[in-house]
Amino acid sequence: MIKVRNIYAKYISRSVLTDCSFDIHNKDFIGIIGKNGAGKSTLLKILCKVIPPYTGNILIDNKDISHMDNAELAKTVSFLPQNVNTDLSFTVLNFILFGRYPYMNRLKFPSRNDYNIVYNIIKILNLQEKTKIAVNNLSDGEKQKVLIGQVLAQQTDVIILDEPTSHLDIGNRNVIFNLLKKLNTQYGKTIIITVHDLNIASAFCNQFIILDNGIIYKKGTPLEVFQCGILEKIYNIKFIIQMHPTLQYPYILLTSK
Amino acid sequence: MKKKIIISIILLLLLLSILLSLLIGFDEYSFIDIFNIIFNHTYENNHIFKIIKYIRIPKIIMICITGGGLATSGCVLQAILHNPLADPFTLGISGGAAFGAMISLLLNLSSKLGFITMPLCAFVGAMISMLIVYILSFRKHFNPHTMILSGIIVSSVCMSIVMLVFILSPIDSIYMTFTWLLGNFSILDERLVIFTTTIVTLCILLILLLSNILNIIYLGNDKVTTLGLNINKYITIFFLLTSLITATIVSISGIIGFVGLIIPNICKSIVGDNNVVVIPFSAYTGALLLLLCDSLSNFLFRPIVLPIGIITNILGSLFFIFLLLQKKNK
Repeated sequence: MIKVRNIYAKYISRSVLTDCSFDIHNKDFIGIIGKNGAGKSTLLKILCKVIPPYTGNILIDNKDISHMDNAELAKTVSFLPQNVNTDLSFTVLNFILFGRYPYMNRLKFPSRNDYNIVYNIIKILNLQEKTKIAVNNLSDGEKQKVLIGQVLAQQTDVIILDEPTSHLDIGNRNVIFNLLKKLNTQYGKTIIITVHDLNIASAFCNQFIILDNGIIYKKGTPLEVFQCGILEKIYNIKFIIQMHPTLQYPYILLTSK
Repeated sequence: MKKKIIISIILLLLLLSILLSLLIGFDEYSFIDIFNIIFNHTYENNHIFKIIKYIRIPKIIMICITGGGLATSGCVLQAILHNPLADPFTLGISGGAAFGAMISLLLNLSSKLGFITMPLCAFVGAMISMLIVYILSFRKHFNPHTMILSGIIVSSVCMSIVMLVFILSPIDSIYMTFTWLLGNFSILDERLVIFTTTIVTLCILLILLLSNILNIIYLGNDKVTTLGLNINKYITIFFLLTSLITATIVSISGIIGFVGLIIPNICKSIVGDNNVVVIPFSAYTGALLLLLCDSLSNFLFRPIVLPIGIITNILGSLFFIFLLLQKKNK
């Protein structure tokens, strides 16, 4: 269980997050939504200790992450930031192998076990045919899969992803979300994701956190969060909210251009 | 398979160039002369033996060490700064070294304490400028862009002072420093060659051992941090190693630009980004390039020997034009 308590964050003098407190239960699939600049990425970076909070604590299984060293945390939480360099000629195998870094020896040479784990991940991702292809030759969707593979190689219970589908087409978005759902339901991973596509997020996430100017505006299930009053306040635009006829999740439509 | 063939060909060319550099210079010798010197010791008191042992072998070693060291430094800096245009000279090392050499010239230390003083001052100057760049670019976290900017600033300040001293000094007193500044292998002290070779080889070996960590740094700071890597610690180590390599080389051989820029780019285009392969490949390709440049500098305007830095600068500029044209075509 992750407990976030009274997190404040600042960039120079500008306040980015104000008194954020919430709990994330094991095996939750949490979508963090909000306008650009609401503080979503900052919150994720604080959750995995990329940046320290100005004040406040984050406890994972009652352990304060500020007291954990980076190597220990890397075996507990894995993070996929927005700006990972994929313009590299490493093969898919070697690129996913980077995720095994926290488990490698001092000089970071992989063991047989590391290779076996990575081969297994490649199978889960259905990328067997691409094992020896250079990452910079893959499509955007495949690159994103490989990046998720790298995160999986860390074998952590918590996976945090910062807008992993923002530049993908609708088909690939669906593929990535299905993959994340599989990791959530079959492998018991806790998934925390920031996302702008509310409809696809509603179909897959079981919890949402809405951030508005650095403040947690609302936390709840898709049905609790997807309400006209709430979303219109956040995005300053009129919505119609309906239930999907067969899949039973709320989705939004714009009322005007 | 194709990569392996290219790697083998370049290794073969390097060995061939070393052999040719032993045979060809102001005087030319045959394979039999070299064979007799190595295996029969028939020339031990003869001038050929002395030229080979005391002039050509130290020079070849220094050229290979310089080419290999600069190319390795270029690889490391391009990886940690995430910038294919980074090289040891972008970071103010040359400026600092030139400034150090200038101090030695101004105080006339070379005539008082021997020739070793100038390389020593250059080394100290290079290390100090590196330290300034390092301090300027580390504020809580390492920032690659600040490092390049700091390097350019430090380099510009140092070079401006050097130029000022040049203008104010009598022409005959600056000749030695000027030829050194342009890259020169003609005056080599045996002890300095041993010192440089030891330092640079050790640093390259250490970098090779850490090359997997260098690969992970490619991913970007945020990702690297969440993989449990103490990025600031390793950036400091890599920065120190490259500074040590470059400062040692610059203090002996002078300013030889572009090797650290061209070679890693060419090698990456052949073998890819994996530093475990790129670093050793760049090291001996750098040695090969510099041996070829040295031959050119000897033969282009014979009997005048051009400073090798002039040749590498011309090649570097041509390489940039080639890169620009290639990007335009894409």
